[in-house]
Amino acid sequence: MPLTMAPAGETRRIIRVGGNQDVRRHLENLGFVAGSNITLISQISGNVIVNVKESRVAISKEMANKIVV
Amino acid sequence: MSIKIALAGNPNSGKTTLFNGLTGSNQYVGNWPGVTVEKKEGRMKWDKEATLVDLPGIYSLSPYTLEEVVARNVLLGERPDAIINIVDGTNLERNLYLTTQILELGIPVVMAINMMDLVEKEGDKINTERLGKALGCKVVEISALKGTGVQEAAQAAIAAAKEKGGQRPIHKYEDKIETALNQIEARIGRSVSETEKRFYAVKLFERDSKIADSMTQIPNVEDIVSAVEAAMDDDAESIITGQRYAYIEKVIKDSYTKKRKTAMSTSDKIDRIVTNRILGLPIFAAVMFLVYYISMVTVGAALTDWVNGPLFEETILPGLADFFKTAGVAGWLSGLVIDGIVAGVGAVLGFVPQMLVLFICLAILEGCGYMARVAFVMDRVFRKFGLSGKSFIPMLVGVGCGVPAVMASRTIEADRDRKMTIMTTTFIPCGAKMPIVALIAGAIFDGNPWVTTSVYFVGVAAIVVSGIILKKTKMFAGDPAPFVMELPAYHIPTFGFVMRSMWERGWSFIKKAGTIILLSTIVVWFLSSFSFQGGLHMLDDVLEQNTSILASLGNLLAWIFIPLGFGTWQATVAALTGLVAKENVVGAFGILYGFAEVAEDGAEYWGQLAAAFTPAAGYAFLVFNLLCAPCFAAMGAIKREMNNTRWFWFAIGYQCVFAYLVALCVNQFWIFFAGGGFGIGTAAAMVIFVGFLYLLFRPAKEEKLPVHSRIGGAA
Repeated sequence: MPLTMAPAGETRRIIRVGGNQDVRRHLENLGFVAGSNITLISQISGNVIVNVKESRVAISKEMANKIVV
Repeated sequence: MSIKIALAGNPNSGKTTLFNGLTGSNQYVGNWPGVTVEKKEGRMKWDKEATLVDLPGIYSLSPYTLEEVVARNVLLGERPDAIINIVDGTNLERNLYLTTQILELGIPVVMAINMMDLVEKEGDKINTERLGKALGCKVVEISALKGTGVQEAAQAAIAAAKEKGGQRPIHKYEDKIETALNQIEARIGRSVSETEKRFYAVKLFERDSKIADSMTQIPNVEDIVSAVEAAMDDDAESIITGQRYAYIEKVIKDSYTKKRKTAMSTSDKIDRIVTNRILGLPIFAAVMFLVYYISMVTVGAALTDWVNGPLFEETILPGLADFFKTAGVAGWLSGLVIDGIVAGVGAVLGFVPQMLVLFICLAILEGCGYMARVAFVMDRVFRKFGLSGKSFIPMLVGVGCGVPAVMASRTIEADRDRKMTIMTTTFIPCGAKMPIVALIAGAIFDGNPWVTTSVYFVGVAAIVVSGIILKKTKMFAGDPAPFVMELPAYHIPTFGFVMRSMWERGWSFIKKAGTIILLSTIVVWFLSSFSFQGGLHMLDDVLEQNTSILASLGNLLAWIFIPLGFGTWQATVAALTGLVAKENVVGAFGILYGFAEVAEDGAEYWGQLAAAFTPAAGYAFLVFNLLCAPCFAAMGAIKREMNNTRWFWFAIGYQCVFAYLVALCVNQFWIFFAGGGFGIGTAAAMVIFVGFLYLLFRPAKEEKLPVHSRIGGAA
């Protein structure tokens, strides 16, 4: 399911990172690679805060929708 | 022998703190050529021959963000003698991703693992010896905040730089990729030195779009790359990324002992409340109100009043006047110094205490990590009209003064969002515009409180409308930069950070007051104190102002404002002096109507003003002054923050034209609806209004723009 639908507080595994090339590269550089663990911390009208590779990252709804967990 | 050392690391890894610790006060701050990315250089404390270059905070050496490109150009172009790579020990995996790329450059690297105190507090252990051996670089444990290990890191880097021995990276990828990289290296030839070859090979493998710029001859390696891609069923860049993380995981397993952690850290728990979908906005509003209240109303205002009153008006001005009198200085000179320079610059410097208090508050919010959350909470709202969540801070500051507001836009990294914020933030009625509001409301509208309230609505509406219109132009076209921002862990900001941040911002303003504002006050003083009529001579009395050069200028330009309803030379001159400082408008009217001294709201000449202005013209005058180009000080700030003359003039031009058109519509529609009949002016206003509607609702121009990271906090 897309990251925006994941329940808060639960740790899941990233299955796929979609989106256009640039966005994907940027997410990969930040640690969003397939196989990484990801925890949803909080969500505010689609924008999410997640924990990935020990760091907290805020991403917008548009991008969160492209991360499949 | 002078050596150059570069400091590289992730945003929020404590890089700025370490830089300050390594250089002390020997710093030079500027911009990297051509971009608004800040450039910092300094001399190392322990070796005056060593220059330390602070690279922008980056996550990788790929060419996707401005910061990355800048950092790469320095590393490849200037080839520093050594690199200090600061690594956040609490977030080792992500930080080492950059480290593996830096190591490939073949430049000696000293890895400084920061926040070791926090790592130990969590009960974790990092075996630095094993880590250094695995990565092939010297590893030093530091705490930039406490200053431990900093000297050791500096000396290790200086020693490494003096050895001048570049080394090949020792980390290896999977066999298949190693083979491919070795083949590519063979094709690169002699144009690249042996130690640098690995970096270029990896970049060529990744099909890096910008690597060609730094190579003299580019070998064709497409066959090698596509063969690996086909074999591994993924694109080359993702293969490398995956391999790097796999390698890092292996390294960490060997050298990092982690205590089992609870699922949620303290920061996570705070975030669940502060960025909560229900509580997020109210908490944010409360924090912002507190900042505004402290810096603009209580502490800040008290300090500003003291500087303006007891210090300037009661001590410095009379003191100077006495001094000039006893010293027998020529009248024109004491006029220039006292009425021109001291009064003009003093009025601006009066804002300094207020600004410093505000900067302290903002630095605390930044330092503790809350500012990054603000952007997150506000982003969805501001995105609707083309601004970023971070635009709210400048606008809040703008209620006090436009100068720090424009400067506060610095925290917005996305270039487009920042430019748009700079252009629109001064629409918010600042403190200096309030006397104009009081004047118009009192003289023409019987002190109706709705006039004051309405100007804030006009300001906000102007921002929203401008945001939507500008977003649809070619300059700002494309989807807003995708919002990706690392949120630093919450921590108590250090006293040093807060003070330094406050002073850096405050000093830039004080410097400006000493240059651009000083110069402009001299010019305005000259224009309003001298007359051309009957040969160039100085006016004896302020009441003769209507013959001054400034008045002649007003007469020359008054026709411009006829469609707006206030085409008199007095109103024109008042608006012109408003461009220097909005505080001037009320005083200028007073002088033009024959009063040397007026109250702050100009109550003495309300009668004359009411006679000269219709309500329509009065409100149009108000709107024009609110929205047109701000005072000289703020324009100076816009010029500095835009860092580009063309953009500066575009911003000023946009504000003036926008103000003119809106004021024209206000005046003409007001007359029409008050039963003034349909005229050419009404027709023009109709055309402008339809134009506005078209710009607001036309489809947006589509254009793809590269990702631009927006990394928050104070790294």
